[in-house]
Amino acid sequence: MSASTETGLPVGKTWKSKEEFLGCVILTDWILLVILFAVLLGSFHIHYMLLAGDWDFWIDFKDRRMWPTVTPIVAMCFAAAAQSFFWTRFRLPIGATTVVLALLIGEWINRYDNFWGWTFFPINLVFPSALIPMGFWLDIVLMISGSWLVTALLGGLGWGLLFYPINWPVLAQYHQAAEIDGVLLTLADLIGFNYVRTGTPEYIRMVERGTLRTFGKDVVPVAAFFSGFISMLVYFLWWNMGKWFSTTKYLEIEEV
Amino acid sequence: MRSLNLQSMAKCATARVVRLWILGLAVAGALTTLPAATPAAAHGERSQQAFLRMRTLNWYDVKWSKTELNVNDEMELTGKVHVFSGWPQAVARPGESFLNVGEPGPVLIRKSAFVGEVPVPRTFSMDVGKDYEYKIVLKARRQGRYHVHVQINVKDGGPIVGPGQWITIKGDMKDFTNPVTLLEGSTIDLETYGITWTYIYHFFWMAAAAAWILYWFMTKGIIVRYWQVKAGKGAELIGQDEKRIGAITLAVVLLAVLVFYAAANREFPRTLPMQAGLLTGISPIDEPRSTVDVQFKGGSYTVPGRELRIRAKVTNNGKEPIRLGEFTSAGLRFLNPEVFTMRPDFPDYLLADRGLSVSDSNPIAPGETRDLEVIVQDARFDIERLSDLAYDTDSQFGGLLFFFSPSGERQKAEVGGPVIPKFQAGAAL
Repeated sequence: MSASTETGLPVGKTWKSKEEFLGCVILTDWILLVILFAVLLGSFHIHYMLLAGDWDFWIDFKDRRMWPTVTPIVAMCFAAAAQSFFWTRFRLPIGATTVVLALLIGEWINRYDNFWGWTFFPINLVFPSALIPMGFWLDIVLMISGSWLVTALLGGLGWGLLFYPINWPVLAQYHQAAEIDGVLLTLADLIGFNYVRTGTPEYIRMVERGTLRTFGKDVVPVAAFFSGFISMLVYFLWWNMGKWFSTTKYLEIEEV
Repeated sequence: MRSLNLQSMAKCATARVVRLWILGLAVAGALTTLPAATPAAAHGERSQQAFLRMRTLNWYDVKWSKTELNVNDEMELTGKVHVFSGWPQAVARPGESFLNVGEPGPVLIRKSAFVGEVPVPRTFSMDVGKDYEYKIVLKARRQGRYHVHVQINVKDGGPIVGPGQWITIKGDMKDFTNPVTLLEGSTIDLETYGITWTYIYHFFWMAAAAAWILYWFMTKGIIVRYWQVKAGKGAELIGQDEKRIGAITLAVVLLAVLVFYAAANREFPRTLPMQAGLLTGISPIDEPRSTVDVQFKGGSYTVPGRELRIRAKVTNNGKEPIRLGEFTSAGLRFLNPEVFTMRPDFPDYLLADRGLSVSDSNPIAPGETRDLEVIVQDARFDIERLSDLAYDTDSQFGGLLFFFSPSGERQKAEVGGPVIPKFQAGAAL
């Protein structure tokens, strides 16, 4: 890591040397990074589990309609807020990537330790949705454009559109068909049926439910565009939420 | 002020503090991940209100084909369920139901499930007042001793748990396999299928994200950037070089997404959307109409004595004399020892083999109508928390009475209605 005193900070009063000062800055940077990462991991994880929940927990909930609609919208909240914080305060183009990485680390710990380690659900039933390339997209659109408005419009739309193609490389294998007792099932359905979940009956799945459709079997593009559109709106709201959260207020020393 | 802040930060950032932080994180990590969790031994069936359990689904003829298995062995869980005519108004009707298993995680996997002759991997519909026969084929997966129940989940109603049996599984889960033949003919092991690729794909992207974050963090860190932005020099932090790096990264990321997507489509050219939908029209058990007619005439529940008294007018329309042998409700079986001379094979915690008696034990002759007082008394009534009937918002009980003829023919009759709680022992009906 490189650090400098180019902003003309007071060196030599508290520290014995410039090197000691720089070492302290770098060490504090690392501590900040770890703390920030842990805070984002915990808070985003709770938010995401509460709002995306079963759609992200189980393979047999990952349908073509509800899953690509709900999940990106829910994930956009923290991505926008984190971008607001990292970009406006530090000009760091890592906000969205950091939160989705933090979320996925938290999710993988949860899925491996709890779902597999404690309750023996196989990982192919409980792996989380992939989000990382969406984080790259949002961060780099913001970095290149330098505008949160452009990021909301272009980044938000891409955020929704990218979700399904990003996940398809893992999901495709589980959408192969099998015949079980004369019933046609995908492997995703079958995994959900085989590996008993006492509190998750089949009827709570929301697989392509809704109104009659006029796009034939092309469900995903419609869902993705809708998700992208809502993600734009969510971006506006949560960018400002992040801005408000990252405001620093100082107390005057006399007030302490 | 700034100098004060920097001094405070310096104090916090000593190597000792960092070591303590790392130690704390390691201990927290170990505490939250390493200890083994105790397997669940029950599934909350007692926590449901008594009137709901008694008046929704009445389970009977429940059988577990084996109680000891090795990993990979299969067993059948079979039985019948009566959908109570007086289904409580407080619970949604079973128009959308799912045949399930109550067990602590998938220690046995469900290979197939049938209601009648119809396979039910999906949600199905049941009619109130009818009886259905079910069969679940289970395959042992994880070693241990587990309580395994039949269960039906009712949409907007919740899970209704049937009787449970302890099942012992020997062996090692590492040896478990779940072979499945795909429509295109190949056979896979669903237990492990696709997991390695899932790890590789996810961790590839996570590593890429970590590299991106560390790259930016290592260039100028956090604090220096903050100072520069604060000093109005934020624009200098993201120049043309940085934007070029970003554009190249984005191009590589999008290209990778495209390549992965195309590779998936090439490897799996024939995929289907997930299958879902309600199975309707499943036929109930085709059985002759019962020749016994039971009219409920009143009842009471004595709380201290754990005694349910049922007054009923019983008419025998059959050709043989009959005697009351069993009352079953909420998975519990109360037997009349004068009829059941041998103890049936059923979990002890649900079987009161001397829990039923009648005011007049003489057989009811064909064509005869008799007023009977049925006494159901056993500690299991209390242990299984059916005593709470006295405190429920709808103090109506429900269950099935089984009458037996000398030739062994069994007649089933539904019984249920309001009962008056008695809070003192010895109170008469």
